[in-house]
Amino acid sequence: MSTAAGGPAGGGIAPTQMIILGAVGGLAGIYLTMLNQAMDTTIFSFLGGIGAIFAAVWGADAVRRVCSYGLGTGVPSIGMVALGMGIVATMFGLTLPEVSGIPTIAGPIISFIVAAIIGLLIGLMSNKILMMNIPIMEKSMVEIAGAGALVMIGLSTAIAGSFDIVAIMPAVVETGFIALVFIGGAMTILHPFNACLGPDEKQDRTLGVAVSKGALIMALAGFASLAVESMDAMSGALTTIVGLVIWVVYFKRFMKHSHRDSYLVTGTGLLPTEEELE
Amino acid sequence: MIDIMTIILITLGGILIGVGVHFIPVGGAPAAMAQATGVGTGTVQLAAGAGLTGLISAGFMYNHLAISGTFTGLDYLMVVASGAVGSMIMITVTMFVGQLVYVYGVGVPPVSAKVKKDPITGDVQDLYVSRGTEGHGVPTVSFVSGTIGGLLGGLGGSMIYVQLMQIVGDPSNSGAVALAGIFATGVFYVNSVLASYNIGGTIEGFHDPKFKRVPKAIVSCLIASLLCAIIAVPIMGGVV
Repeated sequence: MSTAAGGPAGGGIAPTQMIILGAVGGLAGIYLTMLNQAMDTTIFSFLGGIGAIFAAVWGADAVRRVCSYGLGTGVPSIGMVALGMGIVATMFGLTLPEVSGIPTIAGPIISFIVAAIIGLLIGLMSNKILMMNIPIMEKSMVEIAGAGALVMIGLSTAIAGSFDIVAIMPAVVETGFIALVFIGGAMTILHPFNACLGPDEKQDRTLGVAVSKGALIMALAGFASLAVESMDAMSGALTTIVGLVIWVVYFKRFMKHSHRDSYLVTGTGLLPTEEELE
Repeated sequence: MIDIMTIILITLGGILIGVGVHFIPVGGAPAAMAQATGVGTGTVQLAAGAGLTGLISAGFMYNHLAISGTFTGLDYLMVVASGAVGSMIMITVTMFVGQLVYVYGVGVPPVSAKVKKDPITGDVQDLYVSRGTEGHGVPTVSFVSGTIGGLLGGLGGSMIYVQLMQIVGDPSNSGAVALAGIFATGVFYVNSVLASYNIGGTIEGFHDPKFKRVPKAIVSCLIASLLCAIIAVPIMGGVV
């Protein structure tokens, strides 16, 4: 419907590299926040936000690959299903260690795997039962769901300072910030391609939007963590500042890319007044 | 530990959402330009808008009734009815205001291009379809269909929410409320997107030939919701 129908999307960075970048970068960002516990501080929480940005870029790339086939329902639908699966998988993965006695460190990995399984199932059903016949649907759904789960864990970690469910429950869930994480995370994944689609869509421009979008949500996560008791104000402010700096850099780059990809950029001046028209 | 009945009811809620989406007259981008029958936005947005309103009204009713400590079968019915009515109000208001814009703003008569006569009022339809379009506005049959869609969606969403809340059984626990709410939202999105993939763009309501695809959506929503329910139930029991 609203997508640029017709064939797979090409681009500078190959899908395999994107997967490695997103999965490794995302998980690394999330696990590096364990420095908080190691050094008894909360200052490293912003690394969770950085991890979320890596995952968002991966998710946005998967969305642009699958949506270039034309879903018929608009791009936002696939982002919302990603985060719908992501939230269920995230909470399951982070809670399982608490319930079953597995080490807490396994939480994000479990979430990631569960999200991938749900994604695979939804992808299979879309092709086999609903007959969407998009060749890369299963693979893309696995990627999008996995990226969705990582974005949510990353942002939650940035707010709570730890991916332990004992910290996330009071800081992210009970405060209601989970709604921000949910819809904001979905935006980072669905918005870039929705904003840039068309025959002139370029990978670097679309993924630049994903970075700037992720950075904006990261800045908001920093604000949110100011309201969390277990976090000191410096950590929240640092998350916000890092997010805003990344946003400024990538938004400028997006403007540059938009000018590069357009045929002509010209000022039209103000609208003519009624006297001038006569 | 895991209650089979809870899982069955959550799955049923998911199926109701998936079926409900098929009733909602979704016109997508063409309808935004008055070139297709229905409201001019995507399936997911419409279904989620109505569904989330249903969740809020169900949540309000649940909090009101369950805070006393007892939660009877009648209370259960009250909560899901409240959710259904909330969704119906949301979707009918959306359709009605959209209708005002189509009729008085764009200047087109509400008409369906899929049937020759409106199955409810019997009014002639095909004469009024503008050339080059697939109908416009929200004709009576689509309006009624959309209201049924809101009913089913709201019912399904609030069933999921109440079941999750009942696992904890403490409406004053804000963690449980937030978790149940966000889980219900997640399951809602998964099911409404699956349904919208089944529809593939636009649908006018239960009189649309695409409505015959419902069985496929029921199967997929059953599998997806079952998986979500199996995952959700232990978490609600374990975390709060």
